[in-house]
Amino acid sequence: MKYGRLLVVVVVLALLAALFGFGLLRGSPDRDVASVLVGKAAPAFDLPLYERYQPEYGPRFALADHVGRPMVVNFWASWCLPCYEEAPVLQRFWSEYQDEGVLVVGVQTQDRDKRSEGRDFIGRFGLTFPNAYDNDSTVSVDWALYGVPETFFLDAAGNVVAKHVGPVTAEVLARNVEALLR
Amino acid sequence: MTAARPRPLATIALLVLAALLAVASGQDVEIGNRAFDLARNLRCPVCVSESVADSSAQIAQQMRSLIQEKVDEGLTDQQIYAFFQERYGDWILLTPPKRGVHLVVWLLPALVGLGAVAFVAVLARRWLAASRAPVSASEAELARVRHLLAEAPPADGAAVAGPATGDVRRTDDQSGDA
Repeated sequence: MKYGRLLVVVVVLALLAALFGFGLLRGSPDRDVASVLVGKAAPAFDLPLYERYQPEYGPRFALADHVGRPMVVNFWASWCLPCYEEAPVLQRFWSEYQDEGVLVVGVQTQDRDKRSEGRDFIGRFGLTFPNAYDNDSTVSVDWALYGVPETFFLDAAGNVVAKHVGPVTAEVLARNVEALLR
Repeated sequence: MTAARPRPLATIALLVLAALLAVASGQDVEIGNRAFDLARNLRCPVCVSESVADSSAQIAQQMRSLIQEKVDEGLTDQQIYAFFQERYGDWILLTPPKRGVHLVVWLLPALVGLGAVAFVAVLARRWLAASRAPVSASEAELARVRHLLAEAPPADGAAVAGPATGDVRRTDDQSGDA
């Protein structure tokens, strides 16, 4: 009887410890939240582009104008360190896949009035895919961002197929885009 | 000790400085009471355990501005919550809706409370029953008590000696002259 009670206490403590460990190790809960946008049409946006992209794409980037081919929409900010980590990965991916019919577009967001810092960011990594500027973070709310960086994969019909939270890797990009090109 | 003289110029300078700092620190918009109450019930998406009303994150500022816009447009609270739920799902609500899996959050505390009350009630019943149970004593113990009572000096005006009566009973089967 005495050992029975002790066993119950030990089991309860072990369960609590396991729960605590799970909470510590599962990472940021924000990253685990699935986007309600997956499977739905991507919310429209029409944003000003940085000057260097305007000769090719015009003064603004309207998402609707580019529906018809798979897209990778990447959200970043000049203050975001993981964005510096993924920017060269995105540029390499763009160099490799732009002839496959995939469009990569960057959106600077949650970075109010940081246009100069945005130019520095783009220049630093020599980003040749179009980058637009969401000054008041409206698109962040429409796309239900939990932070930056976040990357969305859109099919040719303009529907959100997948979402990646945190810096993308070459593997994540290739896996998701290959699925879209198939 | 002299009273401090009011310094209107210094006060004005401080107020101007505070206003400048507020402007420099962000482009936050002023929101009304209703918008503030709505913002308090929405989770800041980029923060940890902070509401849209409490956070200084840019996305929270934008959300506050959107809430105020929608209040000004005459939308109901439910319509404004629905706008954010369409994007973020129920996760965005700091007060979970009373339906589906969210009911657990509402019912569990009540069930735990009821369980605790029932547990305490059962324990209390046991304690009361134990305290009311007749005390049992062996013949030897009774004999010892009688002996001690006989030896003890009488208290003021109280009779102390005498056989043990009432609930005290023997535990053995022998019938004695108790």
